Amino acid sequence: MRRVLAVLVSALVMAASLFANGGSEAPKASGSGTQKDVTLSVLWFNDGDESEVFKATMQDYLAQHPNIKLDMQIVAYSDYQQKLKMLISGGNPPDVARMSTGDLVALIDTALPLDGYTDVGKVKEEFMPSMLAYAYNREGKVVALPTEATANGMLVNKTAFKNAGIDIDAVSKSWTWADWEKVVKQVIAANPEMKYGLAVDFTPHRFSTILYQNGGHWLNADQTGMEFDNPGSVKMLQWFKRMHDENLIPKSVWLGSENPAELFQAGLVACHIGGSWNVNTYSKNIANFDWGCVRMPKADIRSSVPGGKLLASFKGCAHPQEAVDFMLAAADKQHSEAYDKATKNLGARNDSSIAYDSNTEDFAVFTDELKVTPAVTANEWKNPNFAKVATYAKEQIVQYLLGNIDVQTCVANVDKRGAQYFK
Amino acid sequence: MTQFKKGSKEFWIPYLFLLPNLLIFACFVIVPAVQGLAMACTDWSVFSAPRFVGLSNFVELSRDEVFWTTFRNTIVYSVLTVVCLIAVSLLLALLLSKGSVKGEHGFRAVFYIPSLLSMITVGIAWRFILGDEMGVVNYVLRQWGGEGVHWLTTGNLAMSSIIVVSIWTYAGYYMLIFISGLQAIPGELYEAARVDGAGPWYTFRKITLPMLSPTTLVVSILATISAFKAYELILTMTKGGPGYATKLIVQQVYESAFLEDRMGYASAMAIVLMLMIGAFTLVQFKISKGDGEQ
Repeated sequence: MRRVLAVLVSALVMAASLFANGGSEAPKASGSGTQKDVTLSVLWFNDGDESEVFKATMQDYLAQHPNIKLDMQIVAYSDYQQKLKMLISGGNPPDVARMSTGDLVALIDTALPLDGYTDVGKVKEEFMPSMLAYAYNREGKVVALPTEATANGMLVNKTAFKNAGIDIDAVSKSWTWADWEKVVKQVIAANPEMKYGLAVDFTPHRFSTILYQNGGHWLNADQTGMEFDNPGSVKMLQWFKRMHDENLIPKSVWLGSENPAELFQAGLVACHIGGSWNVNTYSKNIANFDWGCVRMPKADIRSSVPGGKLLASFKGCAHPQEAVDFMLAAADKQHSEAYDKATKNLGARNDSSIAYDSNTEDFAVFTDELKVTPAVTANEWKNPNFAKVATYAKEQIVQYLLGNIDVQTCVANVDKRGAQYFK
Repeated sequence: MTQFKKGSKEFWIPYLFLLPNLLIFACFVIVPAVQGLAMACTDWSVFSAPRFVGLSNFVELSRDEVFWTTFRNTIVYSVLTVVCLIAVSLLLALLLSKGSVKGEHGFRAVFYIPSLLSMITVGIAWRFILGDEMGVVNYVLRQWGGEGVHWLTTGNLAMSSIIVVSIWTYAGYYMLIFISGLQAIPGELYEAARVDGAGPWYTFRKITLPMLSPTTLVVSILATISAFKAYELILTMTKGGPGYATKLIVQQVYESAFLEDRMGYASAMAIVLMLMIGAFTLVQFKISKGDGEQ
């Protein structure tokens, strides 16, 4: 028994000394003068190998700031939000965390406002409004910095357009959806294997791209309630149904969950409205025809729907100033460009100019779409109440496409269901 | 059989052996079920404290058109799947249990293997086979000059496709249970029937079916529970569509709880699902008891 107690006491002492070492921040002389040693706790999740790219990207910063050390904890995305919530509710939030737009929405009230730690006015000038919109908390304060962006855009089968005698790069410079309809009918006629004009991913996010272009929206102007019943949304829905009825859009995607990227890669559709990440997929998989990204046709306005990742710090973290300084460095032009280039993401800054190893022109098209995207798109997509009704909205759109309900019932049903979350 | 006195040491021994299982059952089944019942009477988002709302979730359920559609779909899918599964697996068992088919054991393995696969794998594979544009079946049909069939994009066909795939997946598993049931029937009964001049159909109706009734009850209960819980296959093949055509209650429970963040409402649905399974099982017991008495 005594031996067991002795082992337990020794283990406790060792554990305590370990924590004591981890938390010690003794002043230490460095090249830039006497600075306190700071170990920044960074919570991270990976889509691919971003953590390695991030660390490599930040090497020069860490070399210039020898007093800063990173304690990077990588968590599987499935457990990420829960882990973050536990750390925050336990009074031990990380200094910096990588955030998806969805995570930030859920934890926005716990994120540290950047006022007082940096010049927020400068931050507002540096980032695209549609991306920075995700970073505002309920009081309108900036609480995060975007590091990477994604956008929806149009990917086209250039070979098919060429077969129809259409110079898609020239035509797409200033085309409308009416122009697109005429052109794509010629493309289908000229390519016997091609059956459809457009595939739109089976998600409300991609659907919203054309919705916003038509002046439609989901929520009211101050984001306090549903307003899917509006002329723009009705116009978009009617157009979407007509495209399905006329077989310009394959029914198998929205009615049968077939993968639109597979249809595009098989050469069955001329155009695909999808996310910027499709550039990587298509550049790897498509070898039998020429493809590329083009500007999306315009309806009432031009718009995409932004997405991406951000860095945030939290109220009550151990090193707020150092955390914000580190975030600013990670999101500055030099570091974010290097990071976005390596991870093949879009830049979230207004001054981003990234020379990717391949497909630079395609990424540039997506970036251009993002630059003209109004901030209201992000404001709607960061609304937690809207997220709850998105699946139901998708189902109601399918009901309308099937002809089971009319367009007014569709928008009214979505508004009614959504209203209960805005009480 | 030895009877131990109540209160004696020996009387409690069997319960002691049962205790670990009972504890696990209580912790992981009874307690969550009671909690689910309590949750069904609350308005609860994960990010806020539960608020007691009495039976209002159940009142709302009674008016929820989507819920009633999924309720109807669940009944249609479960009844058709269970009935067809019993018929097909019994037929396979009859064919592959008498030594009359060459390579009997090989066939048994072939029919059994699908039940070992993950339902997600099965769903993806069958979507690849039945897909409208990229599906193998439609490709072959088009190569022969025909039109593609909308297996997964028209309501009734999508439900039929799901049922057929469910049968394909599970028939081999239930076939094995039926084979063990068939092998337990004494051969003398068939011998006596043959001597009395009974034909195969008469023998099947009067000997095989009644003697198999305990096995049939087990198969029907297992198949019913499995059908009511069907989720992965449908999600991967149709995502519950087109529209709500193949959406079952389980999917609706998941979406209400984790996408709409309505834990209380989802619990109310789960309670209804539990009652449905209970009612079906009770009916099966009654039918089986009736058959036994006959």
